[in-house]
Amino acid sequence: MNENFKISPSEINKIKVLNQKDKNFRLENLKLFNQQGFPTRNHEDWKFSDINQIFSKNFKNLESFKNEIKLKSINFIKEFDHNHILMVNGKLENSEFKFEDKNKIKIKSYNDSNFSLNNEENSLINLNNALSNNGLFLEVADNYSFEKAIIIYNVFTDDLKDNLLNNKNKIILGKNSELHIVEYNINQSKNKFIYNTTENVILNENASLKTINLQANQNEGFFYKFSKGKMKSNSNYSSFIFSSGPKFNKIDAEFDLEGENCDCNIKSALFINKDKHQEIKTKINHLVPNCKSYQKIKSVVDAEGKGVYQGKIYVKDIAQKTNAYQLSKALLLSENSEFNSKPELEIYADDVKCSHGSTSGSVDENSIHYLMTRGLSKKQAVQLLVNGFLNEIIGDIKSNSVRKFIENKIEIQIHGY
Amino acid sequence: MLVIKNLKASINNREILKGLNLKINPGEVHAIMGPNGSGKSTLANVLSGKNGYKISGEVKYLGESLNDIPVEERAQKGIFLAFQYPLEIPGVNTNNFLKTSLNTIKKAKGEKEIDTITFLELVKEKAKELGIDEKILSRQLNVGFSGGEKKKNEILQMKILDPNLIILDETDSGLDIDALKIISDGVNSSRSEKKSFLVITHYQRLLEYIKPDHVHVLSDGKIIKSGTSELALELEKKGYKKLN
Repeated sequence: MNENFKISPSEINKIKVLNQKDKNFRLENLKLFNQQGFPTRNHEDWKFSDINQIFSKNFKNLESFKNEIKLKSINFIKEFDHNHILMVNGKLENSEFKFEDKNKIKIKSYNDSNFSLNNEENSLINLNNALSNNGLFLEVADNYSFEKAIIIYNVFTDDLKDNLLNNKNKIILGKNSELHIVEYNINQSKNKFIYNTTENVILNENASLKTINLQANQNEGFFYKFSKGKMKSNSNYSSFIFSSGPKFNKIDAEFDLEGENCDCNIKSALFINKDKHQEIKTKINHLVPNCKSYQKIKSVVDAEGKGVYQGKIYVKDIAQKTNAYQLSKALLLSENSEFNSKPELEIYADDVKCSHGSTSGSVDENSIHYLMTRGLSKKQAVQLLVNGFLNEIIGDIKSNSVRKFIENKIEIQIHGY
Repeated sequence: MLVIKNLKASINNREILKGLNLKINPGEVHAIMGPNGSGKSTLANVLSGKNGYKISGEVKYLGESLNDIPVEERAQKGIFLAFQYPLEIPGVNTNNFLKTSLNTIKKAKGEKEIDTITFLELVKEKAKELGIDEKILSRQLNVGFSGGEKKKNEILQMKILDPNLIILDETDSGLDIDALKIISDGVNSSRSEKKSFLVITHYQRLLEYIKPDHVHVLSDGKIIKSGTSELALELEKKGYKKLN
């Protein structure tokens, strides 16, 4: 590993540590990180995204913190009513819940109640454990359903440059509660930086969480997010990932289905252009009977772009009547585009319905011809086919106003093909 | 309207059209019949401008050579091909596609683009004529459409785009009698002095509904016989083999 990426234990002194135990935990994790460095392709989970090589190529030095912040004005979404949380460079700035009963919502900045994941296999989590100093804690009380969605404005300021930010979020939904989150990343920085997040999602009995992950613009950020979810019985999780835009992005989601009759859905529509690199990795652990999970990943890769999907479904021996389905489809627009997919099923129960499928190919010439015989230029035809390919995911968003907003954003991401 | 002289077309070094001659005047309906593999669909593809064929000879449309004209420009100039197997385009809304297509063609002609309300009224009217359930027009283009619905959708596109030269490639295949009648009515009501039709078909059946002015027999890449609609009846009785 690049020696410049070794992080001195003195960095931890810059963090307001809670107590000696916390400090020791951080030092221990830093040691683990410094031993391993950033993951390379030799690590199975990073086989198609050699982040060590990617970082070495793009960064000479990394500075762990950024104190001075110059926040430019933000374009808040006007298309639909919503509550908001404003995070700047990973730090909770403010929040507003004008449509809600505030007694039912607990929100605070990162503190000791946040979680720490122990994972000696993933040095980015070690790094996060060692250095994280910001984040969001959000808890919804039992039996409370949000009136409107929350938009989390994740703003990255212009003064970020060669910075490494580590962040921890935790979201807890009480029994029978319901919440819709749109995570909207606005990147004001023209420079390169790394944003390493770990997130813990806990859905108690009968809770329902819908999330949408969206980027406002093309940018030079390098993002990694590890999301660990725990689902109690009858809970429902639905996630849409539209994260096209950053230079590098890997979303690594691992969900434990711990109670019966849970439903876990992850859908994604990505447009990867230029030399951008995106990976989605999912691991769904069916630990009890009668749960459903569904992952549908659609990726369009253009120019020198690279897309990756690694998906694993694990079904424990007692998890009978599991219904799990995984599908990845990729559309390659250029000879230099690349897509890698690794679907995996690991099943120890005998009465289950599990399947996976993966396809990748170029745009169908006959379809292009058909559209051109109706007067469309080749460019228009390809654009229409690309839109159509991704629309299969976007079309699943139930709220009309949210869907229209996302359609427009994705149009901007695709525009200029 | 259309003049084809000594048209040869080959694909993967195999010659399919071997010197085809045809002249279609404005207002005429020509039928091309022929056995499997005679080159009927190749002719339709070549006229639409499809890539992949090596072509010699001359095709003139409204006095202008089509040889170097790309697919979309042919469509913009008023050539329409109704596909034998219309393609399914997932994720693309039928109405949106139709509107994009119509406006692209209007723009190319230097006409004013149509607004959504006027467009929807136009589609509603034309769909009704063809007995098309409006609901399918808000679905994905041809996805999950029945064979009949796909063919009707082709004719609907023809009606909306209002072309001059219409090529119907085996439009009758896979249709039941009721659908065949509706589609034929749709074609017949579009006939005018300004429009010409080239009806490509396997069977005489379609020609009972769409009466051609001229019938040609295509065999092994050439037109081997031309005549009136009587020729189609003769073919039905005797089969193609007797003509060779």
